[in-house]
Amino acid sequence: MLKEKKGGARRELSAKPVGKILKFLSSMQLGIILLLLLAAISVLATLREHDAAIQSIYRSWWYLGVMAFTALNLLLCTVRRIKPLTRQALYPQKEQSAEAIAKMPVRETVVLAKSKPAEKVISLVANAFRRRGLKAEIITGAQGKIVFAQKDVCGYFGSLLTHTGLLIILLGAMYGALTGFERQGGGIVGDRISVPEGNFAIRIMDMWVEHEEDPTVRPRVYSDVSVTEGGREIAGGVIAINQPLRFGGNTIYHTTFRYVSEIAVRNTSTGETSMYRVWDRDYLPLEKDGIHIHFLAFFPNFITNEEGVPSSQNYLPENPVLAGILYDDKEKPQSHVYLALNEPVTFSVAGGELEVTLTGFQHAVVYTITRNLGRPILVAGALMFILGLYLSFFQQPRRFWAVYDQKQAAVLVGGRSYRSRFQLEQELLQLVNEITRREEEEHGRIS
Amino acid sequence: MAGYLEISPLGLAVENILFTAAAVAYLVATAGYLTYVFGLKKFGPLAAYLLRFSFLLHTAFLVTRTVNAGRLPLVGHFEFGNVFIWACVLFYLWGEWRLQGKDYSVGAFLTPLIVLYLGYLTVIPQLVEKINISRAHKPLQPVLQSNWLQVHVSASVLGYACFSLAFAVALMWLLKTWLKDKSFVRNLPEPQILEEYMYRASGLGFLFQSIMIITGAIWADTSWGRYWGWDPKEVWALITWFIFAVYLHARFTRGWRGLRTVLLVIVGWVAMVFTWVGVAWLLTGIHSFG
Repeated sequence: MLKEKKGGARRELSAKPVGKILKFLSSMQLGIILLLLLAAISVLATLREHDAAIQSIYRSWWYLGVMAFTALNLLLCTVRRIKPLTRQALYPQKEQSAEAIAKMPVRETVVLAKSKPAEKVISLVANAFRRRGLKAEIITGAQGKIVFAQKDVCGYFGSLLTHTGLLIILLGAMYGALTGFERQGGGIVGDRISVPEGNFAIRIMDMWVEHEEDPTVRPRVYSDVSVTEGGREIAGGVIAINQPLRFGGNTIYHTTFRYVSEIAVRNTSTGETSMYRVWDRDYLPLEKDGIHIHFLAFFPNFITNEEGVPSSQNYLPENPVLAGILYDDKEKPQSHVYLALNEPVTFSVAGGELEVTLTGFQHAVVYTITRNLGRPILVAGALMFILGLYLSFFQQPRRFWAVYDQKQAAVLVGGRSYRSRFQLEQELLQLVNEITRREEEEHGRIS
Repeated sequence: MAGYLEISPLGLAVENILFTAAAVAYLVATAGYLTYVFGLKKFGPLAAYLLRFSFLLHTAFLVTRTVNAGRLPLVGHFEFGNVFIWACVLFYLWGEWRLQGKDYSVGAFLTPLIVLYLGYLTVIPQLVEKINISRAHKPLQPVLQSNWLQVHVSASVLGYACFSLAFAVALMWLLKTWLKDKSFVRNLPEPQILEEYMYRASGLGFLFQSIMIITGAIWADTSWGRYWGWDPKEVWALITWFIFAVYLHARFTRGWRGLRTVLLVIVGWVAMVFTWVGVAWLLTGIHSFG
C-alpha cells in the first residue's frame, strides 16, 4: 500500500508542469537531439571561412545557447541518475526466488546426473562461479540457499563518471575564461614586456636559434626570460615552441619569431646618419610626409626565381635581404627595394640623396601570454572522463543467481547485465559448462 | 633535395618493396575472404593466413620507414594512412583470433575497405590532380617535435581503425537483412551478433576518439596557447564524436537496435573519412603537416 502511495506521489509530481519540464530537460531524447543539432551546425560552420565561422557561429548567442542547453541536459541527466545507479550498484537484490530466476531474460538449467544434497551442489556452483572470475556468495533465503555472484560492479559508474568528467571540463573552461586573460607581446633581447592584466613584466634576457638538420625547416628559437612582479623575480626560464613557461596559473607561449633589422639612413650631403630598428612589415619614412619604404619581408637567404619572385632558400642567414616597396608622397608604389647586408641603396629626396643600409638584424620572439586558472580543473575532468569511458566499455557489470531444485536434480542459473546481453549469454554458457564439468568430475570420483 | 630527409638508396628500395608487397598481399587476402564469403569455406583459414602475412609485411614496411625517417611514421597523409590501415588489420586480426576460426566473414568486408584506403594513398593521387600524397620522407617541423605527437596520432589511428571495423560490420548487417535469400548472405553472422560487434568496435573507437581529442587539446595548449581553435580538423573530429555519442547513447539508453543504429554508424564513418580526407583537400586549417 505504502509503495502504491509513493508511486502515486511521484506520478503526481511528474504530472506537474515543473516536473514535466525537468523530465524533458534531463531526457536522453533531448540529449540526442541536441548532439545531432550541434553536429549539423558544426558541419555548416566548417563550410564557411574560418574567421567568419568563429564570429558568426561559434561565438553566436544561439550556438552558445545550444551548448548551454546540452550542458544543462547533461547535468540534469547526471543528477537524476546518481541515486538509482548507486542503488543498483551497491545494493543489489541478492535474494531471488526460483520463479524470479526462471523469468530472467538470460537463464539456463543444468540437470545433474543424480540428486545430491543442496549444500554440496550450492557449494559446487559457488566455486564454479568463482573459477570464472565472479565474486560469489551463498545467501540463505526464504526458499533455501542461493548463490549470488557478480562482476565488474565499477562499470555501473562508467557513464556517471564520463558525464561528470564532461561537466567538470565545462566548468574548468568557464572558470578559466572568467578569471583569465590572453594577450600577445614580444621583442628582442633586452626588451621588457609589461603585462598589466597579470601585474607582471617579462624581460627577454637571451635568445638563440637552433637550425634543423634540414635548414628549410623553420628553426627552433629559444628565449631566456625573467618574469618580475614589483621588481621581484617570480619566474624564469627558457621558452620555445612546445616548451611554454608556466607560473601561478599564467603561461607564456612561444608563438612565432620574426626578424628585426637595423637600418642606417645617411644623408650624403650632410653626412648625418640616423639609426632605425624596423620589423618586417614596418614603414621607414625617408622624408617628412614624403617618400617612404614599406618593408614586407625579411629573407635570411635571399634568392629570386626566373620570374623574379623573391624567396628564401632556407633559414640560414647566409644572404640576408630586407625587401619592401618604395612609395611616393601620394602613396603610389614606385619600385621594389631590396636591402642586402651592408650594401647601401641610394634614394633621391627633396633635400638631396639618402643612403639606406641594412647594417644588421636579429631575431625577435612573439609570445602569447595567458592566465588560465581552470587548467587543473580541466585536467581532472579529462582524466575522469577517460576513466568513465573505460569503465563504460571495458567493465560490463553482470550478476548471476543460482538455485538448486533437489527433486529435479537441477540447478537453475539466471543472469542480468547492465549493458551487454550478448556477453551475458556467452558468460552464462561458460558458467553452465563449468558447473557441468565440475559436477561430472565429482560424479566420476564418487562412482 | 631541400625539404626532405636524405635516405640511403638501399633503405628506400627495401621500404618500397615492402610497401608494394604488403599492398599486393592485402589484395590477395581480400580475394581469399571474398571467396570464403561466397561459399568456399575452406578459403577462410587460407585468407586469414594471407592477411597475417600481409600484416607482417606491412609491419616490416613501417619499421623500415621508421628507421629511414629516424622517427615514428605518423606525419602526413601517406604515413598516417599506412598506420591507420595497419591498425585496422590489427584490430580485425585480434577479433578473428578471439573467434578462434569460427567465422571469417568480417574479413570479407574489412579487407576491401583496406584496399580502398590503399587505393586512396596510391592510385587516387595519380588520377586526381588536387590530391597530392607525397611518399617522401620529411623532417618534423618544430611544432610536431613533441611526445604528444605519438599519443595524439596513435589514439587517432586506433579510433579510426575501430570505426572502420564498425562500418564494415554495418555493411554486413545491411546485406544480411536486405538480401536474406541470397546464398552468400547466409554465411554471414546473425544480425544480433553483428550489432554486438558493431557496438563494441564503436565503443572502443569512441574511447580512442575521445583520447585523441583530449590529447590534441592538451598539445594545442602547450604549442599554441589554446585548447581549442575551431580548426576544421578539430570540428570534424568533434562531429564524428557527436555522431558516435548519439549512436552509443541511443543504443544503450534508448534501446535502439537495427537499421537506425546501423545508419548512425555509417554516417559516423562518413564523418570520420571526411575528417581524414575531406578536410585535407577541401578545407583549410592549421592541421596541414603534409
